[in-house]
Amino acid sequence: MPDIEAIKTEAKRLLAEGLVEVVLAFKAGDTPLHPQPAFFRSPDEVDDLVYDGLCQNNLATYLTRLPKESKIGMVVRGCENRSVNALVVEKQKKRENLYLIGVPCEGILDWHKIVGKAGETVITVKDNGQEVMIDARSGYHLVERSELLHDSCLRCIHPNPMSADILIGEPLTEGDPSLARAVVEEFESQSPGERYAWFQSEAERCIRCYACREACPMCYCTECFVDHLEPRWTESGATPAGMQGWHIVRAFHQTGRCTSCGACERACPMDIKMTYLPEKLNQDMRVKYNFEVGLDVETQPPFATITLDDKNRFTV
Amino acid sequence: MAEKPRIALFQCQWCLFSPADQDWVDNQLPKNVHLTKTPCTGRINPLYLLNAIQGGTDGIMISGCLPEQCHFKTGNMAARRQLEEFNDFLDHIGYEKQRIRFVWLDLQDRGIIQKQLSTFEEELEALGTASNLVTRSKAVEGGLDA
Repeated sequence: MPDIEAIKTEAKRLLAEGLVEVVLAFKAGDTPLHPQPAFFRSPDEVDDLVYDGLCQNNLATYLTRLPKESKIGMVVRGCENRSVNALVVEKQKKRENLYLIGVPCEGILDWHKIVGKAGETVITVKDNGQEVMIDARSGYHLVERSELLHDSCLRCIHPNPMSADILIGEPLTEGDPSLARAVVEEFESQSPGERYAWFQSEAERCIRCYACREACPMCYCTECFVDHLEPRWTESGATPAGMQGWHIVRAFHQTGRCTSCGACERACPMDIKMTYLPEKLNQDMRVKYNFEVGLDVETQPPFATITLDDKNRFTV
Repeated sequence: MAEKPRIALFQCQWCLFSPADQDWVDNQLPKNVHLTKTPCTGRINPLYLLNAIQGGTDGIMISGCLPEQCHFKTGNMAARRQLEEFNDFLDHIGYEKQRIRFVWLDLQDRGIIQKQLSTFEEELEALGTASNLVTRSKAVEGGLDA
């Protein structure tokens, strides 16, 4: 685990020297399983800063909600750094207005899995980087970290922030791209009927709360397509057509933009699996256009770049 | 299949250069084909396709211009990237890929669209009525959707 005191020192320095107006990080939340995103605006407040495997939000979400020209410091992991880069590519933020405190990420713990192991009433969770000590009503549980990792983190390719201004802790080894590919291939090995049945069973639990949209750093449209009244693009009630349409188009709007952080899935109150949709699109972007989102701040996503080289790509 | 398959035809208004072909599409389309004319294939939002699919169409045909022949220079290239990926994505969640057909027409072509429509219709008859992703409740006479 990274040295939390080093993160605090750096955050305090940024605020004290006036390099940034606000530092985005986490502080202890109301329940032990959910540290909450926090906005630190003065050096004294930074003492509350926490960082562990339970910090499950993607902090890049909040960048587009702060004033456009404000100077922001931020604690970033690999996926968050890529989201920041993607936002810079889409001209939502200027890179020089951001100061990134990079933390190599060992994976985010899925609180659903912790509750599954230890029951509903968890009192404290201690995460030492190898094992997780869960103190719950049902007793003490010592669980290997790999058993509790979120599915997206199990197939993470880039755990290290690639363009952080300062890196706290030692860089980890990069992940294996074949793991991300294996998930897509495993899903596609099923018959179309099975795939549709799975999609249907996941989508029909949706309550249209749009928590996935709010958790996603790339969903920053001021008016979402489901909120349009004229023209009404899709049914906005909790009807089968509306729920399936939302899942399809939400994922499709992330084509070439999703960083596979899994924040949408962790935010879902109905425990709907949904990362298998953008995972497929990401895989297609890697295969067809050799594009991976957020690796730098210049490359435009494939749908924003059109070249005549495409003319032989598609068959009539 | 008792009835003929329902086809939604999205047509770029510039792709049929021959007046005879365009007249056929405008005035003599079979009853089972529903025409939507767009200024360019680049105007076709994937949501249009999704709406057609959810509304119960059996197949979608998109006709546009070849590369370098687009009236707006690059509209068809943008459409190709998006719509082709959308088709792959729908295939991923279990929609039959064969139900979406792209027809890229050369400006010199004559009579291609009629042939393509008839072969597409035969293939759709072999596939049968679409069931996956058809979730929209049926339009009621006098209702909002009618």
